[in-house]
Amino acid sequence: MAILVNKNTRVIVQGITGRLGARQTKMMLEYGTKIVAGVTPGKGGETVFGIPVYDSVQEALKEQEADASVIYVPARFMKDAAFEAIEAGIKFMAIITDWVPVHDALEIKALANSLGTRYIGPNSPGITVPGEIKLGMIHSVMPGNIGIVSRSGTLTAEISNLLTNAGFGQSTVLGVGGDPIVGLRFKDVLGLFEKDDQTKAIVIIGEIGGTMEEEAAEYIKEHVSKPIVAFIAGQAAPPEKKMGHAGAIIRGGRGTAASKINALKQAGVRIANTPWELPSILKECLRS
Amino acid sequence: MQLYEYEAKAVLKKFGITVPEGRLTHNLPEVREAFIELNRPVVLKAQVLVGGRGKAGGIRFANTLEEAEKEASQLFKAEIKGFEVNKILIEEKLNIMKELYLSVTIDDVLGTPVLMASSTGGVDIEEIAAKVPEKIALLRPNILRGVREYETRALIKQIGLEGEVLTEVSSILWRLYNIFRAYDAEIVEINPLIITSEGKVVAADARLSIDDHALFRHPEFEASRLEHFENPLEREGQRRGVNFVDLKGNIAIMGNGAGLVMSLLDAIKMAGGQPACFLDTGGGLSEERIQNALDLLLKKADSDPDVKVIFVALWFMISPAEEAAKGLINAITKTKPRVPIIGVIQGIGADQAVKILENAGIRCYPTVKEGIKAAVEIR
Repeated sequence: MAILVNKNTRVIVQGITGRLGARQTKMMLEYGTKIVAGVTPGKGGETVFGIPVYDSVQEALKEQEADASVIYVPARFMKDAAFEAIEAGIKFMAIITDWVPVHDALEIKALANSLGTRYIGPNSPGITVPGEIKLGMIHSVMPGNIGIVSRSGTLTAEISNLLTNAGFGQSTVLGVGGDPIVGLRFKDVLGLFEKDDQTKAIVIIGEIGGTMEEEAAEYIKEHVSKPIVAFIAGQAAPPEKKMGHAGAIIRGGRGTAASKINALKQAGVRIANTPWELPSILKECLRS
Repeated sequence: MQLYEYEAKAVLKKFGITVPEGRLTHNLPEVREAFIELNRPVVLKAQVLVGGRGKAGGIRFANTLEEAEKEASQLFKAEIKGFEVNKILIEEKLNIMKELYLSVTIDDVLGTPVLMASSTGGVDIEEIAAKVPEKIALLRPNILRGVREYETRALIKQIGLEGEVLTEVSSILWRLYNIFRAYDAEIVEINPLIITSEGKVVAADARLSIDDHALFRHPEFEASRLEHFENPLEREGQRRGVNFVDLKGNIAIMGNGAGLVMSLLDAIKMAGGQPACFLDTGGGLSEERIQNALDLLLKKADSDPDVKVIFVALWFMISPAEEAAKGLINAITKTKPRVPIIGVIQGIGADQAVKILENAGIRCYPTVKEGIKAAVEIR
């Protein structure tokens, strides 16, 4: 098994007719993702790579059965698109869109919490179950038993690739999003990996800013028995500067790499100082 | 985007919150004019976007015109934590009876707004939170419902205020929440909020930071956004739509994706190099964006003799690498690089891109690890 999605998950793509949405739809279809419908207001009746497009999520769900939505809608229309999916009864969303206003992210979180929708993002690279399904852009190809959860995009690709090259396949690879306010947090995903039979070890890719890693460390102490290795980016980052991601900033001494590394170490998590140390540490963890 | 104090106070005033009588000045004649108009003891406050301004000598007092001119001329010449002072806010000096703290910000753990009030103002809220957390009252509203004014009264009562001051301060907190929402604020803070000996409630200092991602809803600030970046290369990066952070070191670094570029900085430092900058191109790796990004690093290398090598790592998850490779080549065709460039290109279409780059004289390595090893050896 995998977490959150699998080969049977039926998917709609919101923002399917946009440049990125269309291009990604093609790549997700090639990967084997079961995309059943696309949504772009005003483009109902068209098709994209053979996928029917609807004006609204509700209309799409009248004609197609779907469990998940992957969202590429431009930032300024994102909140409405997410509200639409949540209120139409979609149970899992992968929000890929970057540059979403943080107040919109707060509103999405409040509505999703009240109606029981789980989601990753905004500013997420998506979720991939190697060999089964890809929502978003993480091109992991080797099935296996390592679960990867990350705050990054391209660094996730880099690390998934390093593990694959070292012979470590993955159960599920996902990015929770690089923004300060995201849906599922590390601790939520760790809980899912702990319950997942296929996952034998977990890789956390964290970065400076916020306290998601510290929160995960507290959770691990009580609830996670599987071996975990973490890499935390941003040890060399100066304070009070936004390092690319909206969430990646050390503010008032909060959110440093050192604080995260210490907290994780205390929870028994092994720390990799560079991404390429991960495979050898994983090997040790799985041997013992 | 953090606003200057005088900009933040203008917003407060618009929402009916009392701020000190004051004038913004850019030079000594304006300082003189401001003092004569105010005609009372004043505070001179350097308008710079750094914390700890008071301790760094950025806040001065003056009782006479001569004193005001003397302090102002010193301030205009001073550097506050490395930043020059181009604007001074001159305000009436308040007679302080009590200092409070009010703010509305975002709780990123719970994903809600959070209203904060404390009866201990004038110092860092982190300090209060660490030492006397019981002195801070908190409210985390559901953002879809908002905050009722009566709820702010209950909150302010918790910090020990009563009578007319209770209703006045809670009304200010409620207005702050409205500012928070109306301006897509990351934080709006009054510290200190002063109760004067005359019984007036005045926002003596204010901070307002607007979410960069929401500036399309605030065109009045979008225009002046670049002025808020005081480092010229960082400002230029923003203008080009890339995230550039200037550092001091020998290896100028760019890549696509914040996590990836941060991991490069870390690994380079660990291998004995010093990062000269952080440049995240962000998504959408068009030829133009990549050209603009590398061009900025060439400018950095030209202006900073410490830079010995440029390191470029790109991961192509969506679009083929070839287009971006063209962008890199355009940049070095336009400006001949003063230092060598090392590339690590991975993902979709990497092989073709590497061929093109090697032909143009950019050394490419198959992995980040090998690329970094080569980069730190260049002295």
